[in-house]
This record gives sequence, structure tokens and C-alpha cells, in this order.
Amino acid sequence: MGSVQPRVQAPGAVARDEVFQVRTLISHPMETGLRRDSAGNPIPRNLINKFTCRYNGVVVFSADLHESVSANPFISFYVRAKDSGHLVYIWEEDGGAVFTLENPLTVTA
Amino acid sequence: MTDFPVAFPRPPVKVPEDYLAGLICTGGLGMNTASSSIALLRRTILRAAGLALAAGTLPANPGFAASDEDNDLIERLIGKKASESPRVQLLMPAVFGNGYSVPLTLRVDSPMTETDHVRTVHIIAPKNPIVIVAKLQFTPDSGRVAVSTRIRLAEPQTVLALAEMNDGAVLMARAPVKVDTDGCA
Repeated sequence: MGSVQPRVQAPGAVARDEVFQVRTLISHPMETGLRRDSAGNPIPRNLINKFTCRYNGVVVFSADLHESVSANPFISFYVRAKDSGHLVYIWEEDGGAVFTLENPLTVTA
Repeated sequence: MTDFPVAFPRPPVKVPEDYLAGLICTGGLGMNTASSSIALLRRTILRAAGLALAAGTLPANPGFAASDEDNDLIERLIGKKASESPRVQLLMPAVFGNGYSVPLTLRVDSPMTETDHVRTVHIIAPKNPIVIVAKLQFTPDSGRVAVSTRIRLAEPQTVLALAEMNDGAVLMARAPVKVDTDGCA
């Protein structure tokens, strides 16, 4: 399995109260635990089970993901701009691993 | 902002005509009010094409109709009854070959203010081995409820989106999807 790589596309500067789109992608196999390998042994479950977006520390959007979400989960959503600061994106994996990305956001009046 | 579910990166896709009919398969005839004139014109043309298709060619398919099983499932999962509403739009292609990665766009027409917003949306695929696909949680700072993702579907089925509003109401939209491969295998 290759390394887990998160990517985000979001604007760096927006106007106040503008609702902007964030597009996120993370490379991850999203093993459901229902598949079997060629020898017939079940492949263990390994999912990204939660995605959270925090805007200056406050959660603005989160998603609990389950087995039916495709591998390399793509999630796009919207955020309303309030104050300048940071957007932090957090992906949590079964077993406790956490992947994060942080991007600055400039909000002009 | 496009009206079609956007996969990122977007693969080159020939749009089958059933896709247009699928775009009309929302909870009703709701439309986004905020749009550019070009997007509005495009949507009008698509609606006309889709309605013509729906009127002429789509047979009544009992496999995709509302069923008591779905309503029981909804009540078991969230403990409330859901009512279909044009404010919730679950946009999925009506026919899609690859069951491992079916694009899905969920939109709810809501001002997202403190007093009127969507709290949670449950996406449910009743015929998948594990029925709950995702639970999306929003705040008024989300600004707009328009989420796109890609999901696995095991067999042709009607995917459900249940939107819990802050006043406790549960609104629903359904999208029938035919896939050719078992994406959950």
C-alpha cells in the first residue's frame, strides 16, 4: 500500500461572507473488510472513518464515512468566510492514525 | 459551479441520455435559486430534455419505487419518519457502469442561518452490505449544503438522502441508480 496522501483545493483569499467551495481528496484504499485475497483470507478492514474541517478551531463540516464510500475518498463542500485564519482538514483512520492538512485563509472586507 | 456531480480529477465521460433523466430524479421539481444566467439556461435545456425523456421512455419500475422496507429502514436508523421534499436533491447518474466509484451530489435548499439550517444528512444505500454510506454534519457556517463524493454500490438500487433540519423535520430525496458492477465485492 502506498503512503496516504491528502490534498485540498480551496481559495487562499475570499471576501467576507462569501461561500466558497473546498475540494478534498485523500489517497486511501478504504478496505471494507468484506473482500478476500487470492488465498481466500479476508482482507482486514481499514477505513477513513471521519473527516472534519475546522475553521479557526471550530468545526464547520464533518462527515462520518463508512464502507460504501469509494476508495481514495473525494469530498467537496462549502464554507462561509468569516474571519481570516486557518482551515484545518482532519482525516481519521480506523486504528487511530490521523492525517491533517492546514491552509491559511485571508478574508478581505 | 457545475450542475453535474464533479469527480476530482474529472475523468472524460460520455453523458448517456439516461443521465439527464437521472438529474430529474430528485425529491420533486426544486431548483436552486442562486445561479448565473448561463447555468440557468443550461439547466432549463436539460430539464426540457429530461422531462421529454421521462415522459416518453422511462417505464414505471417497481424496483425503484418507494417501499415500506425503505420507510422501516429509515425509522430504524434515525428513529423518525422522513417525508420527500424537493428541497433535498440527491443527484446521481441513473445509469453508471462502475459500481466502485459512483458520483453523488447532495444539495439541500436551506438558508443555513442559526434559525433555519440543516444539521445532519444521512446517505443510505439499502441494498449494500452495509447500508449507511455517510453521515454529513453541517453548521450554519457551512453557508450552503452542496456535498459531492463518490460511493460504492453493490447492485442497482435507490439511494436515499435524509436531511435532518434544526427544527427536527426530516426531509428525504431518492435517486435510483443502475450499476453494472458490484462495487462492494
